[in-house]
Amino acid sequence: MSTTAEPVLVTVTQIVATELATTADAIDPDLDLRTVAGADSVKVLRMIARIERAYDIELDDEDVFTVTTVREVTDVVERALAAGAAA
Amino acid sequence: MTAPAKDDPSGTLADAQELVATPWAVLDDYQCFGCSPHNAKGLQLRFKALPDGLATVFQLGSAHESYPGVVHGGLAGVICDETMGNLIVLRTGKPAFTTAMRLRYLAPIPVGAPHECRARIVNTGDTGLINAEADILDATGGVVATARATYRPVALEAARDRITLSDGDAGRLADVLTASAPALASATAAAGAPGPASVPAPDPVPVSVPVPVSAPKTTSEES
Repeated sequence: MSTTAEPVLVTVTQIVATELATTADAIDPDLDLRTVAGADSVKVLRMIARIERAYDIELDDEDVFTVTTVREVTDVVERALAAGAAA
Repeated sequence: MTAPAKDDPSGTLADAQELVATPWAVLDDYQCFGCSPHNAKGLQLRFKALPDGLATVFQLGSAHESYPGVVHGGLAGVICDETMGNLIVLRTGKPAFTTAMRLRYLAPIPVGAPHECRARIVNTGDTGLINAEADILDATGGVVATARATYRPVALEAARDRITLSDGDAGRLADVLTASAPALASATAAAGAPGPASVPAPDPVPVSVPVPVSAPKTTSEES
């Protein structure tokens, strides 16, 4: 997966859509993922694992278990990327 | 207890391929908890080459559980570490020490259910460290755990400061380590694709590497 040119929101949305077996167009970035049919905790963790691999980052569990929307996931990823760039 | 790697009751895990012997099989007292076939209390993992790495199929029983019916999470780490570590040893021809490993547990691993761990090398940098990743998949292909780890390959002579090897063992191990990387490269090629170009294998040598399914005796220090 190419992550260098795409905005984080686009990549995260695509990963979420893949895990939920739907299309990126069908994912509202502000939708509470807990309300999506089939989006159980295992699938959410699989999304997180894919995102961590895509960006070569390690997200804090305090973030992983509190985010509820794609936009919030994107914010967490962007913070992790910024922290990595500053290190 | 583990099921042999070629036993896959589900039929949905990776298809059977020729097993890849780890170099440790030549050692006189091979007791690695992860991969020795002689350690009755160990996992007795066996490995096969994948186009992009190494895999092992396992099926753990209640002797390896934490909560009732659930495989102990620490053993998932052992299995990932064994698979990634042996992949690097086979690719580099050097013992490799784990310097860091992180697991993300996605779902419990039920006892008695076949699972597969697949490892691949991610990259290697100027520091000589190698990063690898591993996934544990259930019989449907669903990922239940992921791991990322860093390894430091060390020349066998230098590694002897840290592991216990007789001169005889060291000599036999040196021979098989030298030959192991081209052996795995051949296996991965046969499986359909070359290995990662980022980790060059040593130059091939005209040595036939034995690939015993039930290896003799020995010890692993890889992780």
